[in-house]
Amino acid sequence: MLIKRTNQRSPRQGSAASSPADQAGGLDRRSFLRKSGLAGGALAAFGTLPLGSVRKAEAAAAGPLTAGATVRKSICTHCSVGCTVTAEVLNEVWIGQEPSWDSPINRGSHCAKGASVRELVHSERRLRYPMKLVGGQWTRVSWDTAINEIGDRIQAVREKSGPDSVYWLGSAKMTNEGAYLFRKLGAFWGTNNTDHQARICHSTTVTGVANTWGYGAMTNSYNDIRNAKTQVILGGNPAEAHPVSLQHLLEGKELQKANFIVIDPRLTRTAAHATEYVRMRPGTDIPVLYGMMWHILQNGWEDKEFIRQRVYGFDDLKKEVEKWPPEEVERVTGIPGEQLKRVAKMFATEKPATLIWAMGQTQKTVGTANVRASCIALLMTGNVGKAGAGANIFRGHDNVQGATDVGLDIVTLPFYYGLAEGAWKHWSRVWEVDYDFLKSRFDSKQIMETPGIPLTRWFEAVTLPKEQVAQKDNVKAVFVQGHASNSITRIPESLNGLKALELLVIADPHPTTWASLAVEAGRTEGVYILPVATQFECKGSRVASNRSLQWGEQIVKPIFESKDDLEIIYLMAKKLGFADQMFKKIKVENNLPEAEDVLREMNRGSWSTGYCGQSPERLKAHMKNQAKFDMLTMRAPKDDPEVGGDYYGLPWPCWGSPEVKHPGTPLLYNTNLHVMDGGGTFRPRFGVEREEKLPDGTTRKVSLLADGSYSLGSGIQDGYPEFTLASLKKLGWDSELTEAEMAVINKINPANPDTVSWSLDLSGGIQRVALAHGCVPYGNGKARMNAFGLPDPIPVHREPIYTPRVDLVAKYPTLPDAKQFRMPNIGFSVQKAAVEKGIAKQFPLILSSGRLVEYEGGGEETRTNPWLAELQQDMFIEINPADAADRGVKDGGWVWVTGAENNSRARMKALVTERVGKGVAWMPFHFGGWLAGKDLRGNYPKGTDPIVLGESANTITTYGYDPATGMQEPKVTLCQIAAA
Amino acid sequence: MACFARFVRLVLGVAGLLLLVSAASPSVAQQVNPTASAVKEQQLLQELNRVQGRVSIPDQRSGVLEQPAGREWREFRNVTLRWIGGIAILGMLAALVIFYLSRGMVRLQSGRSGRTIVRFSAFERFVHWMTATCFIILAISGLNVTFGRPLLLPLIGHEAFSEWSQWAKYVHNYLSFPFTIGVVLIFLMWIAGNIPNKVDVDWIKRGGGIVGHDHPPAYRFNAGQKAIYWIVVIGGGLVAATGYALMFPFYLSGIEGMQLAQIVHSIVAMLFTAVMLAHIYIGTIGMEGAFEAMGSGTVDVNWAREHHNLWLEEENARDARPQPSVTAAE
Amino acid sequence: MARMKFLCDADRCIECNACVTACKNEHEVPWGINRRRVVTIADGKPGERSVSMACMHCTDAPCAAVCPVNCFYTTADGVVLHSKDLCIGCGYCFYACPFGAPQYPKVGNFGSRGKMDKCTYCAGGPEADGSKEEYEKYGANRLAEGKLPLCAEMCSTKSLLAGDGEIIAQIYKERVLKRGYGSGAWGWKTAYRETIES
Repeated sequence: MLIKRTNQRSPRQGSAASSPADQAGGLDRRSFLRKSGLAGGALAAFGTLPLGSVRKAEAAAAGPLTAGATVRKSICTHCSVGCTVTAEVLNEVWIGQEPSWDSPINRGSHCAKGASVRELVHSERRLRYPMKLVGGQWTRVSWDTAINEIGDRIQAVREKSGPDSVYWLGSAKMTNEGAYLFRKLGAFWGTNNTDHQARICHSTTVTGVANTWGYGAMTNSYNDIRNAKTQVILGGNPAEAHPVSLQHLLEGKELQKANFIVIDPRLTRTAAHATEYVRMRPGTDIPVLYGMMWHILQNGWEDKEFIRQRVYGFDDLKKEVEKWPPEEVERVTGIPGEQLKRVAKMFATEKPATLIWAMGQTQKTVGTANVRASCIALLMTGNVGKAGAGANIFRGHDNVQGATDVGLDIVTLPFYYGLAEGAWKHWSRVWEVDYDFLKSRFDSKQIMETPGIPLTRWFEAVTLPKEQVAQKDNVKAVFVQGHASNSITRIPESLNGLKALELLVIADPHPTTWASLAVEAGRTEGVYILPVATQFECKGSRVASNRSLQWGEQIVKPIFESKDDLEIIYLMAKKLGFADQMFKKIKVENNLPEAEDVLREMNRGSWSTGYCGQSPERLKAHMKNQAKFDMLTMRAPKDDPEVGGDYYGLPWPCWGSPEVKHPGTPLLYNTNLHVMDGGGTFRPRFGVEREEKLPDGTTRKVSLLADGSYSLGSGIQDGYPEFTLASLKKLGWDSELTEAEMAVINKINPANPDTVSWSLDLSGGIQRVALAHGCVPYGNGKARMNAFGLPDPIPVHREPIYTPRVDLVAKYPTLPDAKQFRMPNIGFSVQKAAVEKGIAKQFPLILSSGRLVEYEGGGEETRTNPWLAELQQDMFIEINPADAADRGVKDGGWVWVTGAENNSRARMKALVTERVGKGVAWMPFHFGGWLAGKDLRGNYPKGTDPIVLGESANTITTYGYDPATGMQEPKVTLCQIAAA
Repeated sequence: MACFARFVRLVLGVAGLLLLVSAASPSVAQQVNPTASAVKEQQLLQELNRVQGRVSIPDQRSGVLEQPAGREWREFRNVTLRWIGGIAILGMLAALVIFYLSRGMVRLQSGRSGRTIVRFSAFERFVHWMTATCFIILAISGLNVTFGRPLLLPLIGHEAFSEWSQWAKYVHNYLSFPFTIGVVLIFLMWIAGNIPNKVDVDWIKRGGGIVGHDHPPAYRFNAGQKAIYWIVVIGGGLVAATGYALMFPFYLSGIEGMQLAQIVHSIVAMLFTAVMLAHIYIGTIGMEGAFEAMGSGTVDVNWAREHHNLWLEEENARDARPQPSVTAAE
Repeated sequence: MARMKFLCDADRCIECNACVTACKNEHEVPWGINRRRVVTIADGKPGERSVSMACMHCTDAPCAAVCPVNCFYTTADGVVLHSKDLCIGCGYCFYACPFGAPQYPKVGNFGSRGKMDKCTYCAGGPEADGSKEEYEKYGANRLAEGKLPLCAEMCSTKSLLAGDGEIIAQIYKERVLKRGYGSGAWGWKTAYRETIES
């Protein structure tokens, strides 16, 4: 099969050298760029123009090698920035990549990963055909056999243990359409045990941020950061994790002469460009933020008017902040008070200020509380809902935002409808299936409305005693489509789970560590590997971190025997007997559901999140007209016939049906704009008023609606609740609904149509009318500093489960043991035992983990790419020179790293560097294929082993789960290092 | 020399940087503005004459970002070396021509006796000729690197010249091994006769008898030959060592070491070549009866008496008892 | 006539290595050959800076000057190229190069450095523009198609600039003016014997 550019050329023999002339400049055979001299006046703009403008060359005829090539556009699959990938395809072979100048997001740029994605497709180490483990050997099977056998075995598990014993682990790598169908597959199978990478990436952000002001997503955009006067990065290293975003951050820093503040335990590649670098102890984000707030309150730098109009719970918060004077903050975080005061002042007074974070805040047992504290800091200073401000939450994967939105999650159906009966009924109406049919697929109505098991706990769901897992039976089968196993903490214990499973299905372009560790766990059968196409071989929509949807074309057809995600989902549904129901409203051709049709179904049901306006046609028009969008505002000129007035990618919420032509919402909660221009308000999601207990024992009712604040041109010039038919009637606007719309509304709840809300109204009429009056369909409420309902309504500092500061545990203990997500969370007992056993003495170094620019996630696909693998050939651990000297560890030398649990140990190279402070060590988390010093290369199916293997950071990581989301704690634990 | 000065600068620079770093590091918790304290290229170049950092690829030499020292090396290679080589080799040739014209071949004063004496065994001659052949080829292929581009390339054109140079490079690399072995054997084989002694002082004082018809006494090797011996051993050792450093790049040293190796290699080789021209001269047209020593291995007794009288006496004394090593000429 | 140069704005470079893999991708450069690389100076210390480096296509290029077989040539655009048909793999250009640009494939037996390989400024080699022969020996010829080197075109932060020396110097000066400080045009003094005043 032709998969490479070089394959299609015959090797050339012999040489016919032309003799170059001796004198310099003598070889003038090129006719290009003669006119590259541009008028000097135009140069001022160059810093912000794509570099392509520099080459205003008369484009010579393309060389014969690329002549006749078709250009196709897709989206880079490696992080959430959403870079457009421009591919040149000749004879169905992807022969080259060109810069994507037209994309307002990446403007031609890529990082190491994006610039090398072509290799992912034509990698010779990709899986070529389905395989199963027979007697310990990987054996080729046909697709039919694989699907039949898998289906039969899954069905057998269902009959014996119930549908919840099959764990469906999906992927942030899937398109929206794939992720949505995967969630739907779980629903039709009858379980909420459907999860994906967001769990271990930004689940805490989604929960924490949504609980603050309505939606759990980045409020602004990468591009908008250019407007910031102060950028604070707390818990992120975008230079390595989101390199192309640095284009906007650094240009913003230059244009605005902005403060660029990095607060991090490591002097990262991002910190190298900071105007102020603050080194903190890992796991103390809340004290850092409270420390800043203490100075803000002390000096009256808070935005009082903003707080009065748009914030709830400020007084409760102040009580907590008062506990964090500079001395206590320095004692806990290690940051001197003066430095933090300076940072606080810049953040609060040099506005707009934005707070940027990624997994540095989220991957903690206090992840939800961390991001809550961040939101609170923004609210306190009025830095939300404005250009240049906001919570710029950098998500990890190319479609992790989308996969989260479409509900590939344990706690909700698509688009955050939740799991309550109303949500199921809504989706049964959208899917046009009987609610009772869906109910019949589950063990019980109760389990149908109960969140599933987080993927972080999958192996415990297999191995814990049955009575500790709050469902009919343990997990017996795992079907994983596009998720790494080495991204999950406590690898030594996961081996027990791998061994105990009845069935493991790995659907991926690469065998992943699921395969190598399953063999290592001693499995000799019951494992299937299905080759999945890369996303470049599939079409569909992806959501960048800024909520923009981008439609990716299929660049080449699936290579070898690999199949599109959608096709595999369809084949499974067909085998399991519910394809007809599940694909009732979706066109399927040759077992491949049509992506456009899947998106249309999503449009019909996603009113709650405003995914209703992004029809495939509109998205394709955006990709076609990329060049028309302004780089800073991301908006197209209003007079454009196809995309006039739209924001690039129709960032959700894009209200109403596509016909409403809502332009998308580039900045959430921005009251300075009309809602039809992307304006918005905070979402009153938690009731309209709250009964508060007063110290004297009495109670009072406090409104949760905005006070005198509203979006530009609003028909209601104050706070208002979400729109329902009843509220339209009250306002006298119900008459504006058409008959057809009313018919749909009446059909949704014939008994009481008044309760039909903006999010349930499938006609879109309620939204349309609200928008016509300049109102936001979800209402206009206050953001919550006090997020009642969460384990810590006001964020509270809690020491990591494994902390070196045992002296602080008594004052700042983790939350008590409890049962969450069908599983016990015994963090408190573990923390207590660690203190009692003196673990911190045995393992004195704090271990954190993070990303390298060359690799992504579990890293199997990127470590298989030679262009990337060459750049990082060894797993390593960063250690401070002082700690290294104490241990006789040399830069580049081998070390053993030992962890606080399971007698875990891992062999890797030492990188002695001042990037990390004394007492802190850091590992990249992309490596896999080694375990406790043993090379597992032989465990991979022949020829599919990644080029670079190494120890996984998660061999060493330990117990710890966020009570609100089940997030793991790989960012802070303890370890010891010794020279090997 | 420029290179040495460079190394001194390097050492001082490293020390300076260490001081700088150690002075900067203690104040960890203070305000840190990484942007304002950014490293500056010209400052680093002034301190170390190079800019070096960390790379993630295993090829650590690529961590050297910039080292303008190559410019000095270039000056040496393109200018200095050509002058040195030109003067040494052409000068030597000119001297030999003048000498030959003025002095002519040094004749055997007493004529041939007809009797010969073994001067070099077959093994010794094999070693000599192996080394000599290698040397000549190495010298020509080596000179090609320095002088081929200005002299030969314009004559034969790019393709032919590259083709030839490619072969010359292979040959230069491969013949280095027999040459090195030869040098080692020469060293071991003839070390006994090449320890300088007081006879040499006299020999040197009398200019080796090259002027006039003087014949200062000498053992098996006179001071001139001893000089050649030591030039071969030391010079050969140097070119071999530096040559291998260049042939196996980066095994022994970084780029600066390799530049230095190339400088040593080429200077020594040029001088070596010049000396060898003299050696060839004296062993061939320069002196009657000399070539036979390495040709047939035997020399005329009269030749031995005139040029190596002490050696002849030794041989005769040893010869008086055991079987004759002096045979009648056929 | 344009004079093509590279300029790495160290204040923008974040060592993302896009330039490195873009180069690998565009020319299918084999493992072990690094036409471009990113070096981080003062790694992990305040003041750390990364610089992307490849052949700078020097004025009066040292490689060309010392080459025993004179296989280098400079195009009308100031791009320093060489002929692999003429190169004998002697390594001299590496000794002379201030930037460590020349790369040599290891071709099996000892002493045999293969034909030198280096950044071509995406301008191919002496073969016909855009020909298969040119691609196999030197990689793509973007300049002939009116495009600039892919490393610079794909640079994540627009740190690496390629194009006519005067234009990229002007872009850099504008940036310096905006920022209020310069980051130094790394390598310019050595390669082009000039600095960018600002």
